[in-house]
Amino acid sequence: MKLLKTYVILIVIVAIFAGAMFALNLHTGPIIEKNNAGAANDKLNAVMPGGSGYEDITATLTARPASVTTVYKETSGLGFVMLCTAESSYSTAPMEITLGIAADGKISGVEITAYNDTASFDFRTKDPSYLASYVGQDSALADVGLVAGSTFSSTAFRNSIVAAMEVMTANNLIAAGVKGDDQILTELIPTVAPGFTKLAEAEGTGNIQKVFTAENGTGFAYIVNSGDATVLAIVNAMGVCKVYDVEGADITANAADVVAEAVAHASATPNKFTDDLTTKVGRMMEGAADITPIALDTFNTVVSAVSFTVDGTTYYAFYSRSIGFHQMDVFFVIDENGAITKMDAKQFIFDEEYFMAFGGMDVTAYKDGFVGITGDTFTGDEVIIATATMTSNAIKESTQDVFTAFNALKGGAQ
Amino acid sequence: MKKGTKTSYLLKGTPSALLVLGAGFVMASSADIRAALGMGAAVLVAMLLSSIVISALHKVIPANAKLPAYLLIITGFVSLISMIMQAYFPEVVDMLGVHLATLSVSAVVYRDAEEVADHNGEATSIKTALVTGIFFTVVMVVCAVIREFVGKATLWGEPIAFMQNYKIDAIAGAFGGYLVLAIVMAVINKITKLHHHLDEEEEN
Repeated sequence: MKLLKTYVILIVIVAIFAGAMFALNLHTGPIIEKNNAGAANDKLNAVMPGGSGYEDITATLTARPASVTTVYKETSGLGFVMLCTAESSYSTAPMEITLGIAADGKISGVEITAYNDTASFDFRTKDPSYLASYVGQDSALADVGLVAGSTFSSTAFRNSIVAAMEVMTANNLIAAGVKGDDQILTELIPTVAPGFTKLAEAEGTGNIQKVFTAENGTGFAYIVNSGDATVLAIVNAMGVCKVYDVEGADITANAADVVAEAVAHASATPNKFTDDLTTKVGRMMEGAADITPIALDTFNTVVSAVSFTVDGTTYYAFYSRSIGFHQMDVFFVIDENGAITKMDAKQFIFDEEYFMAFGGMDVTAYKDGFVGITGDTFTGDEVIIATATMTSNAIKESTQDVFTAFNALKGGAQ
Repeated sequence: MKKGTKTSYLLKGTPSALLVLGAGFVMASSADIRAALGMGAAVLVAMLLSSIVISALHKVIPANAKLPAYLLIITGFVSLISMIMQAYFPEVVDMLGVHLATLSVSAVVYRDAEEVADHNGEATSIKTALVTGIFFTVVMVVCAVIREFVGKATLWGEPIAFMQNYKIDAIAGAFGGYLVLAIVMAVINKITKLHHHLDEEEEN
């Protein structure tokens, strides 16, 4: 009887509270549901002002890259909100981006919800107006550049936005923006001059509209007026120039005036790379003689090349300026057979704080590991150091670029 | 009060002992003044309602059913309060997170129900619940003011401009929560001892 009473009392308590919760839920349930929906929409409304509701249309899209994770359509027709990611060499995890695109194809807002790149390179700090510069842009992103001092991170961010816009235009959800010739040519620079990194933009003079200066000293790029057309001229650190039209075709042979103007502008900023390389050759190769500068038509990280002899044997030395955690100055000596004889760097960054994790590394053995490698045997993996991927990837890039330069020197494929 | 009946630590003059029982949710809820007020209100209402019901029913609930019955009553009230707060104070619920739900198994609320409401009438139970709830609210708000000001350089979520360069992040975290609570408890202990000393002098 006592046990029965216990059960009855517990059941009655449960029943009373269950009833109370049921009754209360009739009133609070819809409010809570609305609150939850509002909280989810808040993040999307931040880039789509006035948004009332969203429908996930991700599954209906084609040609969607991995960087575009989710796409919402605003239910009243205001536009679209996209959740995207971006990753650079400085990322510990992908950057998370919320992008709003209005129905007219222009960006209504953009936010970074998780910034996982190196804090000291945060482009939001370096240029607080950078994100705002995207608002109002169409898919051409004509008036959006990169942030000096945060080139890798801002490039990754911009590329992610470009990829997102391309998804929308490819699926006919927005109209594609029209790019001007100067924008098309500017976007051509990384393709035709991959070694020109961290470009600083300035206004030009004469026929030169714009000047882009590579921070690593690898060369200059110019947007130049040539008659009725606009062309791109690139000049490397060895003074060699190439000219491209808006189709990306090499028109150097027919653009002597442009070449002359671009080379004249570039030569006004002389560099000491050949002097440095000559000095370095003297230190690296005892008995080096007949050191002769070579001008190569490569536009990678190689800034200088020389030929020289030692005891009658001909060698070639190359100076490459790739960018790792910092600026790298890497030197290679290659013999006539295309095999590396010596490798060195002006400053191995291994001693700096970032690389204290492998302070005990044998740098001499690392350099000696390059000896004998040729363009055919080089895979890149042999120079990568797991605890210093940024620096060793820069050395890998330099090595590849030097073999490309050597092939150009020998008239082979680049 | 009848001889032999039990009362709260507060009414017995040992508030620090009560604070130790509630240190978990005090620490968790005192990083922000709004959260502290929300948790304070939840504690107060949960204790008040469960005390009233338990003190009214304690004679009809068999001894072997008291533990589950009291837990059911407390959990029921906490769930109802949680539903109301989710509907009308969603931001506060977000700040409190899981700590609002764990209030139903809080030693403070259960002890109040089991040791006070179960042995006293409604009047004493209500008085104890009110005093305890208000006490916790005040302590949490005091801790929150210190932690928000020093740890986040804000008050009620609003930035305090001149503090932005002097804020100490750790104070807003778990370490700071226990540190500030310890300081507040030390102050309460000092006041309590002083109060007892004066009472003894009066009696002599």
